[in-house]
Amino acid sequence: MIATLLKRQATALPILLIVSALLFTALRLLPVDPAAMSMPPNATKAEVEAARVAMGLDRPLPEQYAIWIGQVAHGDLGRSIHVRRPVSTLLADTLPATIELAVAAMLIAGSLGLSGGLILFALRDNKAEPLAETATTLMMSVPEFLWALLFIFVFGVALQALPFTGRLDPGISRPVLTGFLLFDAAWLGQWKAFASALLHLVLPAAALGIAFAPPIMRVLRASLIDIYHEDYIRQARLRGLSETRILLFHALQNAGLPTLTLMGVQFGILFGGSLLIEVIYAYPGMGNLMVDAVRNADLPIIQAVGLTYCIVVLTINAVVDALYHVINPRLRAR
Amino acid sequence: MSILRAENLTLTLRTKDASIPVLRDVSIAVAPGRILGLVGESGAGKSMIGRVLSGLLPPNMAVTAGSLHFDGHDLLTEPKRALLGREIAFIPQEPMTALNPVHTIGQQMHEHLARLGVPAGERQARAIAALDSVHTSEALLTRYPHQLSGGQCQRVLIAMAFASRPKLVIADEPTTALDVSVQARIVLLMRELQAKAGTAVIFITHDLRLAAGVCDDIAVLYAGRIVEHGPVAEVFAQEGHPYTRCLHLANPPLSGPPRALLSLPDQMPGLRALATLRGCAFAPRCPVATADCAELEPGLSVLAGAHRIACHHPARTAQILPPTDDPHPIRLPGDAILTVANLGKTFRNGPFWRRSETRAVHDASFHIRAGEFLAIVGESGSGKSTIGRLVTGLETPSAGSITLAGQDVTTPSAKTRAHRIANVQMVFQDPQSALNPRSRIADIVTQAMEAAGRPKPERQARARELLAEMALPPEIATRVPSQLSGGQRQRVNIARALCTVPRLLVADEIVSGLDVSIQAQLLTLLARLRHELDFALLFITHDLSVVRHLCDRVLVMHRGEIVEAGEVQTLFAAPRHPYTQALLASVPPDLPL
Repeated sequence: MIATLLKRQATALPILLIVSALLFTALRLLPVDPAAMSMPPNATKAEVEAARVAMGLDRPLPEQYAIWIGQVAHGDLGRSIHVRRPVSTLLADTLPATIELAVAAMLIAGSLGLSGGLILFALRDNKAEPLAETATTLMMSVPEFLWALLFIFVFGVALQALPFTGRLDPGISRPVLTGFLLFDAAWLGQWKAFASALLHLVLPAAALGIAFAPPIMRVLRASLIDIYHEDYIRQARLRGLSETRILLFHALQNAGLPTLTLMGVQFGILFGGSLLIEVIYAYPGMGNLMVDAVRNADLPIIQAVGLTYCIVVLTINAVVDALYHVINPRLRAR
Repeated sequence: MSILRAENLTLTLRTKDASIPVLRDVSIAVAPGRILGLVGESGAGKSMIGRVLSGLLPPNMAVTAGSLHFDGHDLLTEPKRALLGREIAFIPQEPMTALNPVHTIGQQMHEHLARLGVPAGERQARAIAALDSVHTSEALLTRYPHQLSGGQCQRVLIAMAFASRPKLVIADEPTTALDVSVQARIVLLMRELQAKAGTAVIFITHDLRLAAGVCDDIAVLYAGRIVEHGPVAEVFAQEGHPYTRCLHLANPPLSGPPRALLSLPDQMPGLRALATLRGCAFAPRCPVATADCAELEPGLSVLAGAHRIACHHPARTAQILPPTDDPHPIRLPGDAILTVANLGKTFRNGPFWRRSETRAVHDASFHIRAGEFLAIVGESGSGKSTIGRLVTGLETPSAGSITLAGQDVTTPSAKTRAHRIANVQMVFQDPQSALNPRSRIADIVTQAMEAAGRPKPERQARARELLAEMALPPEIATRVPSQLSGGQRQRVNIARALCTVPRLLVADEIVSGLDVSIQAQLLTLLARLRHELDFALLFITHDLSVVRHLCDRVLVMHRGEIVEAGEVQTLFAAPRHPYTQALLASVPPDLPL
């Protein structure tokens, strides 16, 4: 089964190469000169030219790409032009924060979506159904940055219930291990830091995840309605099984298949969408790194973040694919 | 002493503007160890009786009169779920979809045994014993439903149904979705288990012949009422109700001299018509109805002994005879129009590095002469449909050649396409999905002219002609498929293929899934059209009696190969290949005329 799963991921590497080539070409076509930007403003033309040669920018584009991709394959993502630190260090600092945020947001979207889907399903053909429909449409039509501002205003400013900047309270020392704050704090037993990190995660994750819940609700509701028309559900009833048993053992796993596909797609979109939320909540993740890099035309960072995004999406695809095989026996090798 | 007794049961469907009696005054009783057959065409209400018993009725339906008692329980007032699966068990129509696809057979067996209260430690042994009782191996326990055949799935479901030693089993068309040879084995199995435990069985079917072979008692339903009821021996010794007689005569016989089919006009009244029905529901179609039949509804009265019918004129039933004269003398077939030589088709699955091959058709050679009706019979997976698809160019052969009207059309290409379209047309099995739901009937039947760029008035005129030829009312030209009945849709489906009068028609299972009376209408229509339009037919089917009625020659296919071929009458009278013999033997025998 593992071999089957690996074979199904055979397309991942070519995809990664194509995306990296696109990314590289697009960035080289921008009217920015990384060599000039890396030098102090009073540098002479000759000094800039020397820097250009040193950075390899005088070579043909395919050769530059080959050099870059070779370095990437060895784990060398280059140095940031602006902050003059290795890109890999910058990524190591920010990627775990963004993953933490995205996973938390997906958990919120998923749990809201699944419970909401079950409620919508229970309300089908009920008078309250249009009301629930309206609520989900509202949830979906408010953009994430508006949720973000709304949450800051209500829970942060008016109620003063939750923090809304950064990942930790200022007075708390940061547990250092993997970069995943919740994990590190729990592993090292720093429960005060854990609580603080958790509280800091609530508002950005909720703002990011909430708009993703309604599609999950609708797909789950629609799949459940379809599945309740299936013969095996009727046969289960004719065998006298309880409705709870039918829902949990027979309906949910089947209805979960299309829902899972949707959540996989959503996670990719959500990961990219974290950028705006990170800026609003001053959350030190990959999004903020990217925004700064774009502002400074810091090409090595932009390239690395773009590539990371692609890898994350491919990884999610692989995980969803594996999960699909676990819950759908028809896909397993016969 | 009956285990189940329904008296004057009336089931009503409430809509916004009417209450429609789906079942009226239904009284049945089943004793332990006996099998009661409920027979009727679709819409007669036979499955509704099962739904009333289970209590799983749609929310807009309710029992409005009568009583229903099972083993001391009043099923209309007491909650039924505790009885379901324990005392009353159900065997479904579609075994492949009645098992949950994401759980193994073992998981589902265990779940069922847990619900029956079998302690966890004994469940595995009980599951194995249950599978053993239906003559299947315990290896099935670790498999998923999609890994099983339809017959195996049905065995599992039967094992589950009988696992609790229920007092009553309701089997709703349990063999309809299965191949003929599997059908016979499943019926035998049910009888064996039922006889062993003395279970009462309600056997719901549309197949009069099957019911005659399986059941002890029989109740024939028409438009929600029982029109004939009694022990099988008495009912078939003297069919009392004209409807039963007509159903019988609409069935093509499998032995004896070929006879024309009795083709009932129209169809059973639909649900809406039931609300305002007056007189006998069958009167408009009844060949022997009199004026008073349309006025007064007959009650169920005793004909002889336990044999009861609902008819004013039982004496007239015997006057219904099969049409004797054959108005369409068959022309002698002409030269070969289609020649297929050493045809093979292998399907390749999977990517190139781990390709698996399925041999669907192997070394098939046959020909069809102009005006000849040739049948291909076989069970599912025998390759018969693949041959149809190869001949029409929907698939490309892996080996061999196809010659159509003098031109080699083996490989579908732009060059052969026009020639093929002019000479071959295909009728698909399911008119529901073969007809575009948004197109008007006039546009559907003249699709071939649209492709040829014919002007609209010409198409309109041709549509009128075609509808008239199909004996369809002209006003349906402006309707869409969903406004038609199943039989009408299949005629539209055929009309479309006949639009440009092809020389060969390929028809894949076009009468299966239709009610017997509708099937008789279609078969009679095809015979008439053959006489009028003079086309050849490649008729793909699993139904042997239909082949015997309609076709001249037959090819028997088994696992992708033609195992026997010959004239229909000769081959059916004396099959030589063991597979053909087995196939013929598994069809329920004809009823006495």
